[in-house]
Amino acid sequence: MLSRRSFIAASGATVFAPSIMRALDAPLKLRELYAGGQVSDLAQSLQGERITVQGFMAPPLKAQMKFFVLTKLPMAVCPFCESDAEWPDNILAIYTKRVVKVIPFNVRIESRGILELGSYTDPETGFVSLVRLADATYG
Amino acid sequence: MKTMIFASATALATASAAVAGGHGDLPQSGNAWFAAGQSAVESAMAKTPNTNTAKNVIILISDGNGVGTNYASRLWAGQQEGGFGDEYNQPHELFPNLALVKTYNVNAQTPDSAGTGTAMLAGIKTKAGIIGVNENVNRGDCATLEGNTVLSMNQIADIMGKATGVVSTARLTHATPAASYAKSVDRNFEYEVPDGCTQQKDIASQLIDAMQAGWIDVALGGGKRNFHAGEGGRRKDGQDLIAMAKEMGAQFTDDQATFDALALDGTPILGLFENSHMMYEADRTDEPSLAEMTAAAISALQAAGGDNGFFLSVEAGRVDHANHAGNLARVVQDQKAFADAVAMADRMTDDADTLIVVTADHEHAIAFNGYCGRGSNILGLCMGINGSGVEHTGEPLTAKDGKPYTVAGYLNGAGTVLREDVNWVGARGDLTEEEATDLDYLQQALIPTSSETHSGEDVAVYAKGPWAHLFDGTIEQNVVFHVMHHALTAE
Repeated sequence: MLSRRSFIAASGATVFAPSIMRALDAPLKLRELYAGGQVSDLAQSLQGERITVQGFMAPPLKAQMKFFVLTKLPMAVCPFCESDAEWPDNILAIYTKRVVKVIPFNVRIESRGILELGSYTDPETGFVSLVRLADATYG
Repeated sequence: MKTMIFASATALATASAAVAGGHGDLPQSGNAWFAAGQSAVESAMAKTPNTNTAKNVIILISDGNGVGTNYASRLWAGQQEGGFGDEYNQPHELFPNLALVKTYNVNAQTPDSAGTGTAMLAGIKTKAGIIGVNENVNRGDCATLEGNTVLSMNQIADIMGKATGVVSTARLTHATPAASYAKSVDRNFEYEVPDGCTQQKDIASQLIDAMQAGWIDVALGGGKRNFHAGEGGRRKDGQDLIAMAKEMGAQFTDDQATFDALALDGTPILGLFENSHMMYEADRTDEPSLAEMTAAAISALQAAGGDNGFFLSVEAGRVDHANHAGNLARVVQDQKAFADAVAMADRMTDDADTLIVVTADHEHAIAFNGYCGRGSNILGLCMGINGSGVEHTGEPLTAKDGKPYTVAGYLNGAGTVLREDVNWVGARGDLTEEEATDLDYLQQALIPTSSETHSGEDVAVYAKGPWAHLFDGTIEQNVVFHVMHHALTAE
C-alpha cells in the first residue's frame, strides 16, 4: 500500500517542485525561516506556498482578532528582569481563517498557512511583520 | 593486653610508613586517578600567595551561572570537544582560588541582579531591585534616595587614577552593568523615571553622565533604544544620548564593522549593539562576541589607564535570560562565550599585577536527574550507566510513567508539564533525544510560572592574581568587593 509520501515520490519529482515536497514534509522550525536576522533562502523558496511551522502562540495583542504571533520560544516574562515583555528574535505573524482561540503561551503548536514575505503593518495593531502565514489554521 | 596494643601500633606504623614513603605499596598506586590525585596535591602545596598590589582588576560575572548552571556548561563545552564532559575544565575552573558565595539580598532569600550587583560592586548587601543604594531605600520610592547612595568600584578606581569600563551582553542599563555606574531606587528606571521623581535621572542618562564626568571610559553592550528618541527609541524626553556621547568625544559603535574599526587608544567608547539585549550566542550575527568586547575593552583601558591601570566589569547577561526561558541549549552556549571571555582576559593580562575574579550573581531553579551514565548529552536524555564499561548504555532511563527524561530540568518556568487550558493538570510528553537536544527545546519543569526563576543557592567565585587567596570558604557576596578593593589598595 502506498502511503501519501511514497505516492508522491513514486509520482515523479518532475511533477512536484522541491518546495512543495518540503511543504508536505515535516513541519518547519520557526528559526529555519530566518538566517542571520534575514529571511532564509528556504523561506524565499517557499514564498506563496502553504507550509506548516512549529512554535508557540504569543499572548494575543487584542481579543477577537484573526491574528496572532508565533514565537520560537514561549513568551516568558520575567517580572524581576523586565519592565515589559520582550519580543524574541525571529517571530512569525499568523493571519488566521477564524477568530483566534487562545492557546496557552507555553504549549507547542503548529500553524499551517500561505507563506508571505515583505514588510507589512497590521492595520489594527500596528504590528510590523516581515514574514507571515496567511489563511492559516493552527493547533 | 600490652602485647596486643604493641602489635596493633606496629601494624599501624607500618601502614603509615608505606603511605608516607611514596605509596609504592598500595595496590592502587599505579592507577591513573591515584597519580592525578597526587599531582593535584603537589600543585596545591606549590601555591604561593600573591601579595602584590593589583594594578588592574577585572571582574567577570556570568549572570545566573550558579554552581548547577556552571556544571551544565562544563559538560556541554567538554562534550563539544568530543569528551564525556565531566572531565572538562572551563578556564576559570583552573584558577587557583575559590570560594562559595551566599547571594541573598537583605530582603530576599531569592536574590535579584540589582541587589547582587550592588553587593559585588559597592561592597554592601542591599534590597532586591535597587542599584547603587543601601537598604534604607524603598524600591520605587525616589524620596528615599537622598543620603543612601554608595560609590561603585568603577568610581573608586577612578578616584585612584585608573581607567574603568563596563561590558555586558544585556542592555547596558540592565541591573548588573548598571551597578557599575547607577544609583537608582528601581532597576526598571532604565530610560525614564516616574513623574515627580526629581532625586535621580534614568539609568541611561546616568551612564552618559558618568562618561561625561570621565569615570567610565568604555561601555559596550546592548540597549540602544534607551539612549535615543528616534525610530525604535524609548526616550520620551526626546534626548539623544548617543549624540551627546559623540559630542563629548566618544567613539560610537553599533555593529561588527564599526566595532572592528574602533581605535583602542584610550578614546572613550560607547557601544550599543541591539535595541534591547544583544543576541544569544547561538543566534549572534553582525555583533561582537563577549570575548571580542572584553579584548577591546582591555586594550582601550590599558591605553587610557596607563601605569595607573584599570578596573573592568564584564557580564554575560544572557546566561540568565536563557535560564529564565528554560532553554538550556542557549544557556550553555552563552556560558561558553563567557568562558572564552575569561580566557581572553587571562591571556591579555599578567597574574603578577592583575586580579581576575570570575563569579555569578545568583543561581536559577535548575536541577539534575539521575542516574545517568557517562557521556549522556547534558541537553538530552539521561542514559543508563554501563556496568561493564565507561560510556552510557545508549538506552534512556524511564520514569514511573514509562517515559524518558532529560539530564537537566527546571523546578518552574515555561517548560511546565502542567496545562493552563486543562485546569493545570498535566502529564509528561513522549520525548526523543533529537527533540531534547534541539536548540529551541525547553527542559521539562513542574511549577507553571511565566518565566523560570532565580534561586537562592550558592554561586562560586574563582580568582587568580594579587590577593586572590583571600577568596576562601563560604563568604557573603559583598566580600567580593572587599577582596578587589584590598587588592587595589594593598601596600
